[in-house]
Amino acid sequence: MLFTSASRTAGVSRRGLALVHFDWWLLAASLSLAIFGIAMIFSATRGVVDPVIQNRWTAQIAFLVIGIVAFFMGALLDYRLLRLAGWPGYCFLLGVLVLVELFGTEQNLAVRWLSVGNTVVQPTEAGKFVLIVAVAWYLSRYYSEEKRLSVLFLALGALVPPLLLVYRQPDLGMVVTMLFIIGAMILISGVTAAHFLVLSSLALAVLFLAYGTLQDYMIDRINMFLAPDANREAVFNVTQALISVGNGGLFGRGWLEGTQSQLFYLRVRHTDFIFSVVAEEFGFVGSCALLLVFGFLLWRLVRTMELAEDAFGRLLVGGVAALILFQMFVNVGMNIRLMPVTGMTLPLVSSGGSSLVSTMFAIGLTQSVNLRRSVRVDTF
Amino acid sequence: MFSSSPAVHPDGSGRSVRIGVRLALIVLLGLLIGRLYQLQVRQHETLAAQADANRLRTIEIPAPRGLIFDRNGELLARNRPSYQLAIVPEELPDDDLDTEADEEYEAILQILESLGPNLDRNAVLDMQRNLHRSLGWLDYRRILVDNKVPFSVFEIPYREFVDLLIQIGVVEETTVASASIEEEAAAASMVSLPDLNQPLPVEGLAFLIQNLAQTRQQGNSSEPFPILTGLSREAAFTISEQSFRYPGSRILDVSVREYVYGELVSHILGFMGPIPSSLAETYRERGYRSPAELVGLSGVEAEYQDILRGTPGQRTVEADIFGRVGRTIDEVVPQPGQDIILTVDIQLQRVMYKVLQEMLTVQDAISGVAIAVDPRSGQLLGMVSLPSFDNNIFSEGLGETYTRIIEDERRPLINYAIGGLYPPGSTFKIVTASAGMAEDIITPRTVIVDDGPIYLPSKFFPDDPSQAQEFVSWNHHRGFNHGPLTLREAIAVSNDIYFYYVGGGYPQTFIGLTQEELAQWARVFGYGSATGIDLPGEVSFSVPDDQWKRVNWASSWVQGDSYNMAIGQGYLLATPLQVLQSLVPIANGGKLYQPQVALQITDPSTGRTQEFEPRPIRDVGLDRVTLDTIRLGMRDAVNSVEGTATRGQIEGVIVAGKTGTAEFCEYDPALEDCRRDEEGDLPTHASYLAFAPFNNPEIAVMVFVYDGGEGSTAAVPVGTAILDAWFTIKGQGSLETGAG
Repeated sequence: MLFTSASRTAGVSRRGLALVHFDWWLLAASLSLAIFGIAMIFSATRGVVDPVIQNRWTAQIAFLVIGIVAFFMGALLDYRLLRLAGWPGYCFLLGVLVLVELFGTEQNLAVRWLSVGNTVVQPTEAGKFVLIVAVAWYLSRYYSEEKRLSVLFLALGALVPPLLLVYRQPDLGMVVTMLFIIGAMILISGVTAAHFLVLSSLALAVLFLAYGTLQDYMIDRINMFLAPDANREAVFNVTQALISVGNGGLFGRGWLEGTQSQLFYLRVRHTDFIFSVVAEEFGFVGSCALLLVFGFLLWRLVRTMELAEDAFGRLLVGGVAALILFQMFVNVGMNIRLMPVTGMTLPLVSSGGSSLVSTMFAIGLTQSVNLRRSVRVDTF
Repeated sequence: MFSSSPAVHPDGSGRSVRIGVRLALIVLLGLLIGRLYQLQVRQHETLAAQADANRLRTIEIPAPRGLIFDRNGELLARNRPSYQLAIVPEELPDDDLDTEADEEYEAILQILESLGPNLDRNAVLDMQRNLHRSLGWLDYRRILVDNKVPFSVFEIPYREFVDLLIQIGVVEETTVASASIEEEAAAASMVSLPDLNQPLPVEGLAFLIQNLAQTRQQGNSSEPFPILTGLSREAAFTISEQSFRYPGSRILDVSVREYVYGELVSHILGFMGPIPSSLAETYRERGYRSPAELVGLSGVEAEYQDILRGTPGQRTVEADIFGRVGRTIDEVVPQPGQDIILTVDIQLQRVMYKVLQEMLTVQDAISGVAIAVDPRSGQLLGMVSLPSFDNNIFSEGLGETYTRIIEDERRPLINYAIGGLYPPGSTFKIVTASAGMAEDIITPRTVIVDDGPIYLPSKFFPDDPSQAQEFVSWNHHRGFNHGPLTLREAIAVSNDIYFYYVGGGYPQTFIGLTQEELAQWARVFGYGSATGIDLPGEVSFSVPDDQWKRVNWASSWVQGDSYNMAIGQGYLLATPLQVLQSLVPIANGGKLYQPQVALQITDPSTGRTQEFEPRPIRDVGLDRVTLDTIRLGMRDAVNSVEGTATRGQIEGVIVAGKTGTAEFCEYDPALEDCRRDEEGDLPTHASYLAFAPFNNPEIAVMVFVYDGGEGSTAAVPVGTAILDAWFTIKGQGSLETGAG
C-alpha cells in the first residue's frame, strides 16, 4: 500500500507541496499556546532570585523562535522519508537507553541522563518521537493490511526491552507515556475487537506484575494520589496547586496577581504546575479557554490524521496527537488532583526549551502530512 | 460537528476510529472542565480561604505602655527606645549537606563576630542568660556538652537549688519540677549547674543560638527572636548598616521601661520580663499572642499589667512562603495602655529610703522595712524594703549587676514589707489591749502591778516552784520594776507583765483572755490573712491558736503560749504591712482598711480617669474609751518621760507611737540552736509603729529593722524622720501650690 497511496495523488506531484493545505489554524493555536505560556512563565518566575529560573521567560521566547523554525522544517520535511528511519530509529533508541543504563548521570535518585559535553540530555525526551516514528512505520507496514495477532505480539515483544530500560531508570511517567502512545497508535491503526481484548487482558496482567517492582517513590506518588493527606510533606505541592486553582474562582485574580504563585506558595510554578498559575490568575473562564485551545489544536490534528493519505502519515499524526493529549491531560489532571504527580509538563506552555522545540517540530511534521495530500478538503 | 470527511482511508476501519477519537477528546476535556468547575466555582470560597491563610499574617503592634506617676503627678515609670540584636531563623542559610562545614552555624558565628567590641563580657553574660532562660537549663547544658564546648559549672545541693531558682523567679517551678532533676537528685544530692557568671566562648553561644533557631524554625521562622538586648544606639546603627552581610541578623527597635527613681521605688513598681513559661497558658487565654512579650513580673507592673498594657494593634500583611512580609492589607491601631497614678508620694519615699538605709548602716542590719499609709483611707504613702535593687537592670539585659542582685544572699528582689514574716513584738500589744478591753478583762482603771518576773507553775508539778516557768518584762533586764500600772501606762512603758496577765491571766488570781479570744481579736485586726494590698507577692501566716498548735506542733495550747502571744512573740508571725494595718483602726477610730497602692487610672487618649475608692474591710468594733485609752498610751510612749519612744517627738505635731523589740530565732547550723549573744540573749528585730497628728491622724508609719536591736534606738529615729519629712513636705507643698 505504500506505493498505492502515492499513485492515488492527483494534481500534485509525488514530492510536491500543496501549500494550500497548510493549516493556519493549527499554527495559530500552537503559537497562541506558546505565547500565552511565555506570559505565564513570566508571571510564575517573577521575583525569583535564583538566576537559573529568573530569565526563563526570555529563554522561552528564544526557544519559541527556534520552535517556529523547527515547525517549518518539520512541515517542509517529507514525512514519507521518515519511514526509512523506523527500524534504525528503534535500534538507536535501544542503544542510547543501554548507554544510559551503563554510563548515565544520576539526578534525584534516577539515572535518566547522559552527559554530553557540559550539559546533560535526557534521551527519552526525543525517544518519544523516535518511538512514534518506529511504531508508525511498523504498524503501517505490517499490521494495517492484514490484521495478524502475531504481528502485534512481535511489535510488543520488540518494545519490551526499551520500556524495561526506561522503567529501570526509573521513569514510570515515561513508561506510561510510551505505553499510552503505543496503545493509541494500535487503536488508530484499526485494531480488531478480538485483538483489542487480547491486548487489554495482557496489559492488565502486566500492570499487576509491575506493581510489585514499583520503586518507592512511585508508590509514594500513587499513594499520595489515592490518599492525599497521608504525607503532609509530600503533598504540599499538590495541596498548594489545588488551593491556587480554587483561589482563582470564576474570573481569576488577574495576571501577576495570583497570591499563591506570586508569593511562592505554589512550587515548580513555571513547569509542572504552570496550569495552576493560569487557573489562579485567569480563573475558571481562563483555564477553560486554555483547555479549549488545546482541544482545538487536537481537533485539527485529528482532522489532519484523518485526511492523511497513507497509514504511516495517519499513525504519525495520531502518535503526535496522542502524545500531546496525554501530556496535557496528565499535567492538568495532576494540577487538579485527578492524576498522580508525574513531573510531566504542559506541552507548549510549560517552561522548557527542548520540550517546546520538539513539540513544535512534531506539530510541524503533521503539517508535512497535510501538505502532501492530494485531495483538498474544506471541512474544519 | 463531526467531520463527514470524504477523504479516502487506506483501511476500512475509519469511521469507528474517527468517532472514537473525537469522543475520547471530548470526554477527557469534559472531565478536566468538570473538575475545574468543582474547584474554581463550587469550592472557590474554601480554597480561597486557604490561600488567604497562607499569605496573610497578623503582626501585633504593641501599644505604648501606660506611665506610672506618684500621687503628685511625678513620673515614676516611662518608656524609652532600645535596640536588640535578633536572629531571624528563616533567613539563616541552610546547612549545605554536601560540604563539611555547617553553614547555619558559621552564619551565626559571623553575626556574633559582627558585634565586634560590643561583644564584651557583659554582652556574653546577657546572651547566655537569655539563652539559658529560653532553652531551659537541661537543654542548655546538653547542647554545650554535645558540642564539646568547655563551660564552668558549680555544684549546689538539690534542695537549695530548687529553692533558689523558684525564689529568684528566673526558673519557674514547673521547669524545676521536671522528672530528670528528681532522678538526678536521687542519684546524687548535688546538682551541677552551668555557671552563668563565667562567660562562654563565642562558639558555645553560637551552638545555643543555632539550637534555638532550629526550635523556632518549626513555628514562625520569620519572627525574629532577640539574643542581645540593650544595644547602644551607636552599636545598633553600626550593626544594621552591615547587616546585609550577615543574613539572619536583624536589629529590633523596641520600647523598654525606664524607672526614673530606680531602686527607690523598685519594690512598689516592680519590673518587667518575658512571660514566664509557667504562666504562658494563662497569658494566652488572656489574649497575649507572643510568649516573648514583656509583662510585669512584680509590683504594680504585674498587678496592673492588663491596664498598663492597653490593647495591641494588628497589622495584616501579606507574606510569601519564606515569611517575607510584603503589602499591608489591613491595620488596626493599638490602644495605648492607661496611666496609673499611685498613692505613693515619691518625696516621702525618698526620705524613707534614705533614713532607713542610714539606720541599716549604723546598726549593721541586713534588711529593713519602712511603710507609711494614710490611716483615713489605707492609701500607701510610701514603702521601702531594703536591700533594694535597681529595677532598670531588667529592662536592659542581664549583665553583672543582675548577677550581683540575684546572688545577694539578702535577696533584694523580695519586698519584705509584704513578703517577710516576723514576730511583731510589742507592737502587737495594741491588739491584746483592745481584746482585753472588749472582752471586759480590764478597764482603763484596772491596775496590774509589775513587781518583778512572774512564774507560771508547771502543769505537771504545780507545787514545785523550781519547775515553774519564768516570764520577765524587758525592764527587769535593766534592773527595775514598773510597779502598779494602768493600761495607758502599760502601753506607754511597754510593760510585759501587764499584757501577760491580760493575754493569759494568772492561776487563781487573774482571769485573762482565752486563747480563742486572743486569736479572734488578732484576726479582727488583720492578722492571719493577707492585707489584700494591690501588689503581688504578699504572704501571711495563720494566727496561732489551740487547733493550730495541735496540727503543727502536736501539742496543746498552754498558758505560756498566750503570754508569749500577748506580747507579740511565740508563734505569732506577721508581715510589717500587717502590723501597720492593725494600727490603722486605732488611729482612725476603728476602721480596718485594705491598703491600696493605685489611686487612679487615666486614659491618655480620652483623658478619662477612674478613681480607686478606699476599701474598708470592717469596723473593729471598739468603743471610744478603749480607743482613747490605747491612743493615749501611745501618745505617752512618745511624749511622757517614761515612754519607750521619746525620741519620736517632732516639733509642732503630736505623735503617738509604739515600739517593738521582738526576739527571734536564727538557726545556726554550727550551734545546732538559735544564735545568741554573749549574755545568752536572742537577737531582736527593732520596730516602731506611729501615727500623727494625734488628734486627726493623717499618716501612720511602720519601721522594721531586721536584727536591729532595740526598737527605741533602731526604729524610732527612722519613723520620726519619716513623720518629720511628711509634715515638712506637706508644708512646702501647700506653699508651692498655694492650695490648702
